[in-house]
Amino acid sequence: MRTELRLALLLTRGSDRREWWRVLLTAIGAALATGIGQVIAVLVPMDSQYSMSVGAGLLDQPGTRNGVITALMLLFVPVLGFLGQCARVGAVHRDRRLAALRLAGATPAQVRRIAALESGPACLAGSAAATVCSVPVLLRLWHRPDPLAWVDITVVAVLVPVLGAAVSALALRRVAASPLGRIRRVRPARGPGRAFQVATGLLAVLAVLVAVAAFTGDPFAFPLVGFALGPVTAFAVCLLVGASAVWLAGWSSRRLGSALAARTGSPAVLIAAERLRDDPWAAARTHAAVLLVTVVGTGFMGVREVLLAVLHAMDGADNLGRDRTYYTTGLDLTAAAILVALAIVLSALAVGTAESLATRRRDLAAQAAAGVPRGVLGRALLLETALPLAPAVLVAGTGGMAIGAWYACTATRYTVPGVPYPALLVPLAVYGACLLAAATALPLLHRSVQPAELRYA
Amino acid sequence: MSTRHILLGLLEAGPSHGYDLKRRHDERFPQARPLAYGQVYTTLQRLVRDGLAEVEGTDADGGPERTLYRSTDGGARELTRWAGEIAPPAPFVANEIFAKVVVSILAGGDPAAYLRTQRAAHMERMRELTAVKTVPGADLATVLSADYALNHLDADLRWMNTTAARLTTLTAEVDAA
Amino acid sequence: MSNQGDSSVPLLAGRDLVKAHGRTEALRGASVELRVGEILAVTGASGSGKSTLLHCLAGIVRPDAGAVTYDGSRLDQLPERRLSELRRSDFGVVFQFGQLIPELTALDNVALPLMLAGAARAEARVRAGAWLERFGVRGQEGLRPGEMSGGQAQRAALARALATGPKVVFADEPTGALDSLASEQVMTSLVHTARESGTAVLLITHDAQVAAYADREVRLSDGTVAPAGVAA
Repeated sequence: MRTELRLALLLTRGSDRREWWRVLLTAIGAALATGIGQVIAVLVPMDSQYSMSVGAGLLDQPGTRNGVITALMLLFVPVLGFLGQCARVGAVHRDRRLAALRLAGATPAQVRRIAALESGPACLAGSAAATVCSVPVLLRLWHRPDPLAWVDITVVAVLVPVLGAAVSALALRRVAASPLGRIRRVRPARGPGRAFQVATGLLAVLAVLVAVAAFTGDPFAFPLVGFALGPVTAFAVCLLVGASAVWLAGWSSRRLGSALAARTGSPAVLIAAERLRDDPWAAARTHAAVLLVTVVGTGFMGVREVLLAVLHAMDGADNLGRDRTYYTTGLDLTAAAILVALAIVLSALAVGTAESLATRRRDLAAQAAAGVPRGVLGRALLLETALPLAPAVLVAGTGGMAIGAWYACTATRYTVPGVPYPALLVPLAVYGACLLAAATALPLLHRSVQPAELRYA
Repeated sequence: MSTRHILLGLLEAGPSHGYDLKRRHDERFPQARPLAYGQVYTTLQRLVRDGLAEVEGTDADGGPERTLYRSTDGGARELTRWAGEIAPPAPFVANEIFAKVVVSILAGGDPAAYLRTQRAAHMERMRELTAVKTVPGADLATVLSADYALNHLDADLRWMNTTAARLTTLTAEVDAA
Repeated sequence: MSNQGDSSVPLLAGRDLVKAHGRTEALRGASVELRVGEILAVTGASGSGKSTLLHCLAGIVRPDAGAVTYDGSRLDQLPERRLSELRRSDFGVVFQFGQLIPELTALDNVALPLMLAGAARAEARVRAGAWLERFGVRGQEGLRPGEMSGGQAQRAALARALATGPKVVFADEPTGALDSLASEQVMTSLVHTARESGTAVLLITHDAQVAAYADREVRLSDGTVAPAGVAA
């Protein structure tokens, strides 16, 4: 183990700037995950009424607290997506390096340990930073915290780096297997692996079980079951939507790529379409979290419109049990959470686009040298994001609208809310924001097509 | 290079006279040094003396009288033996260019300038040979014999490049001796 | 303004070119001329500035000092947009590898410059097919570069470089990754097509057998043109 640790340190110290980007971004992702995890860890052991100075009373009662926990758990989805993208930064380079280690005689297990040791410390740094911030905040808000909360916080702080290391070892299992692994050519991924298929299946079963449970009895009547099923169900359903979105995006990317590549007369569209056809899952992986945020965001907007209309009507009828801000604060907090999720997702998209450019910089430089205008290369880059995203966002937006419309139909006791059309703005905004995020990589394209890149063989 | 075995090989195809053998030799081995008449006749006479070939007869055909030769059984055996025998890989290093470089150092000349000129001459010859083999429709024998020469010239060139880069050390060594 | 036919005036000339990469000076006053239809080999050891010379002459980089003249106009003073246009219309490039887009089929790779020049897709594909056939890439039009052998991919790259009918083809170690037989086939294809169409070729190589395909040789040593023969 000492040898592995020394090698990992040597490799990290000798690595180029891109490696440091990965370390930094991974640390940020780990910090986010730890922060969210620790807030959940503190909230879960609370089992009765409290009076909190934050959250406008939403954290005071077990019921609303469960809602907050659910929302926070949902935030894990984009964070995981972001960490996944970060792992891809410099992946080609790293794969070559590890394959070279195998050629030099390292055993598969050694290579896996080195890889784990390389990403573990990054996660540890992020988790430590988050813990250092969250402990004082906790002490300020809660003077004598439950001992269980401390235990949970520690568990989260340790678990995040351990999980990070384990995941990177798992991700590299194929490289580690063969010394010549990926030296020859970067093989496009064939599609989601078996683990992903099994996970999708399990999620689907879980969703069905919960749906059945909802009809056979009210699971939320029992606090324990209620907690176990409520947030977990929402979490599982969203993961299921995300998994389906990956399938949908992958499938549509391939179809769209083939159809456009066969017909288009525009060089930029041709390049983008052939790249989609070559590796449809690349787009799918990047876009899954985007789609998830679109569904949740559109649905939320619909629900919010309806709720506000109802609240207004109830307020007028003097039927509100509590201050109206109690409800609107909840809505605003949810909106904030969704915006945070969107921001994380967009960063992941930008990181992914930049990484795709960095990997191909020699090819791009050769194209520019051959006289392919930068405009064509830039448009191809944007189209690669825009083309597969359009149908997927359309579907996601429709799903979200359906949620909003369904909610509007059920909430007819005090007023008859119309279809929440403002929710339609969400998919449009997400689509535009994604294009902008992809466009942030354009300055990098400008740098990538420098002839100096032609020198790298 | 054994002229007698090459002539013996050409005779295997059937009886032939000296002029015909020379013509077929030059055709079959393009880019090789052309055979001289005198050499062909002397070699044929030696083959007859050693019992490897014999005179088939003469034909006049209205012109000057020409002797037809053909291979004997002994000739065929000798040819098989020779064709299967390995060519000794560079038994002596006879390198005129190296000799000239060393002599030039001893005589206080400019070996670098000599190597530059020699290199230019080698390149010129390589361009000629490349032009010969890239003529559209060039036959394979031409391409292969040009390739053989090109590879040897290329080897010379590489040697000259490394030698040129190490002339200072060589000069010190030669002068010290 | 065209010099076509007058072989005494160079088509492309670089004079006293200087170019530094950071602190290392790749070129220190190199001058070279390429005449119409001429095949010129630029040879020299690794790091002698061969590739940088090609980049300067092809308008891919601007020299720090010196002048590049193409067809009577100063290349080093043209704006980037014009240079890009010129590289597309008048120049073709072939590198050791990387000039084919890995995701496009051989046919689409060759059709791409024609499409960029304004041809419709269908027409571009027909013309690209003819070029591939001319370079002996038959029955492999639908393959991607990664699925072809190195020699076939390089021939497809040559087809792409020559498809737009350029006046100059810049080839940087075009056979660097090939065995000698594939190398011979690629070079023969290049030389034949260039001679037929009167295209000038600037050929960069460290291999004397490849340089022998050229009409003339220029040797670079430490960023300048060495006197004829071996640089000391």
